[in-house]
Amino acid sequence: MSAITVERLSKRFGAVTAVDDLSFEVGEGTITGFLGPNGAGKTTTLRTLLGLISPTSGTATFAGRPYHKLSEPSREVGALLEASGFHPGRSGRDHLRVLATAGGIPASRTDEVLGLVGLTEAATRRVGGYSLGMRQRLGLAAALLGDPRVLVLDEPANGLDPEGVHWLRALLRHLAAEGRSVLVSSHVLAEMAQTVDHVVIIARGRLVAQSSLAELTARTGQRVRVRTPQVEALRGALAAWGATAEQAGPDELLVAGASTEAVGRAVADAGIVVYEMRLERSDLEAAFLELTTSEGVLS
Amino acid sequence: MTRLFRAELLKLSTTRTARGLLAAALAITALLAVATLILAGRDGNAQLGSAGNLHNVIGGSGLASVLALVLGILGMAGEFRHGTVTGTFLTTPDRGRVVVTKLAAHALAGLGIALATVLAGLAVTLPWLAVKGVHVDLLNLEVGRALAGTLLAGALYGTAGVAIGALFRNQVAAVVVTLAWTQFVENGVLASVFPKVARWFPMGAAAAITNPGWPLLSMWAGALLFTGYALLLATVGTRFVVRRDIA
Repeated sequence: MSAITVERLSKRFGAVTAVDDLSFEVGEGTITGFLGPNGAGKTTTLRTLLGLISPTSGTATFAGRPYHKLSEPSREVGALLEASGFHPGRSGRDHLRVLATAGGIPASRTDEVLGLVGLTEAATRRVGGYSLGMRQRLGLAAALLGDPRVLVLDEPANGLDPEGVHWLRALLRHLAAEGRSVLVSSHVLAEMAQTVDHVVIIARGRLVAQSSLAELTARTGQRVRVRTPQVEALRGALAAWGATAEQAGPDELLVAGASTEAVGRAVADAGIVVYEMRLERSDLEAAFLELTTSEGVLS
Repeated sequence: MTRLFRAELLKLSTTRTARGLLAAALAITALLAVATLILAGRDGNAQLGSAGNLHNVIGGSGLASVLALVLGILGMAGEFRHGTVTGTFLTTPDRGRVVVTKLAAHALAGLGIALATVLAGLAVTLPWLAVKGVHVDLLNLEVGRALAGTLLAGALYGTAGVAIGALFRNQVAAVVVTLAWTQFVENGVLASVFPKVARWFPMGAAAAITNPGWPLLSMWAGALLFTGYALLLATVGTRFVVRRDIA
């Protein structure tokens, strides 16, 4: 059974549809990147999953149970949400003590997680004096407090410096290696590209792609660059094959949606002269942009 | 004591808000007690050491109540202001239980503030009277009623504050509207222009708890009515909080 299942989830705020018939799953023991540009509906989806927002329709469950039906939620699911706040006058340790007390978690655990996120020295300082990165670490500490099997993290890299992002990646890999399932959102794919196993990509509240990371790069990142003196003839030949080509130079076309084999056959059939042809794997970031800006050829 | 209740008390004890309000309450109560003792017996004020005099010293100002009210508002609306409500509801998804527990925790906090002010008032008064050679009898009905009324009012005001905090999205608006209503609309205008009507309103009912007598209701009628108002606010406020999207 999947750790997290989102099924036909929709949420409307007045006239605005923030999440639109969204379905995806997070497999047990995997890190799934939840990606999309700002405003795509990631935070709304995660808050609905965690029972903070009630969906207009559809369901979101943890191993079949909605969040409010979990018997010990903070021991089963750890969450870090954007804009989830801290009282500026309360110390980091006290913030965790409050959550631990309410969640029935032993007080000794607060010092453990503070150590885990590197906040031991700042633990007794009031949160009002914390940097953005320190708040983010405190939020992570809160998520880890109940030693949960499932983690839901909304933009955890926000506010972290490059060293912090590196640390975060290592932490996530470590957590997944222990068999935990992680759903982590980001609007910057590169942040997560080296960490996640699977990706769920949304734009304007809708699912754009859901696949393993490897599949995604293979499916979207592949283009064939062709240098030919007969640009227009090649473009016509490719159109017949259902591939699209864009002009990349005076005698160059960049072909999407076709393999080198397919392009080779199209060239042979039409008897076109070709000077050069090579496969280009665009980087993941380009694939991400392509998917989220142009409603997605691959949805 | 449930873990949720302990968590709510921990929230109160781990910021400076409650301590600051308590310190202010103690300081002002002591000052008011001194003023009450100096002015005793003059201009129609109760005689030094009389039951009425002790009543004024113990809780006549109603200060503890107002501070318990403010603490309650800050305790609930502050969760929304600072966004701590997210962590609170993630830990305890049963929102109704969270609000009810907070109502109870702030009843206790209000009672604590009231008790502290009573003790502060007595700490100033008893040595003062001893120096003046005035014998006092603390074990009489009026002093007992003043004590009970002050403690009860503190608890009820603390609860009402949480209820109001649940009704408003904005902490500042909650405090401003509440103080404007209680101090200006009710105590200022209504109480002086329509005293017979005013006694049925929340502040009129609450005033009867600490200062019963014409034109107010009796102490217990006031307590009952104010409890009703607090419960009404709490019910509506809880429904608001339970249904709201925490975005």
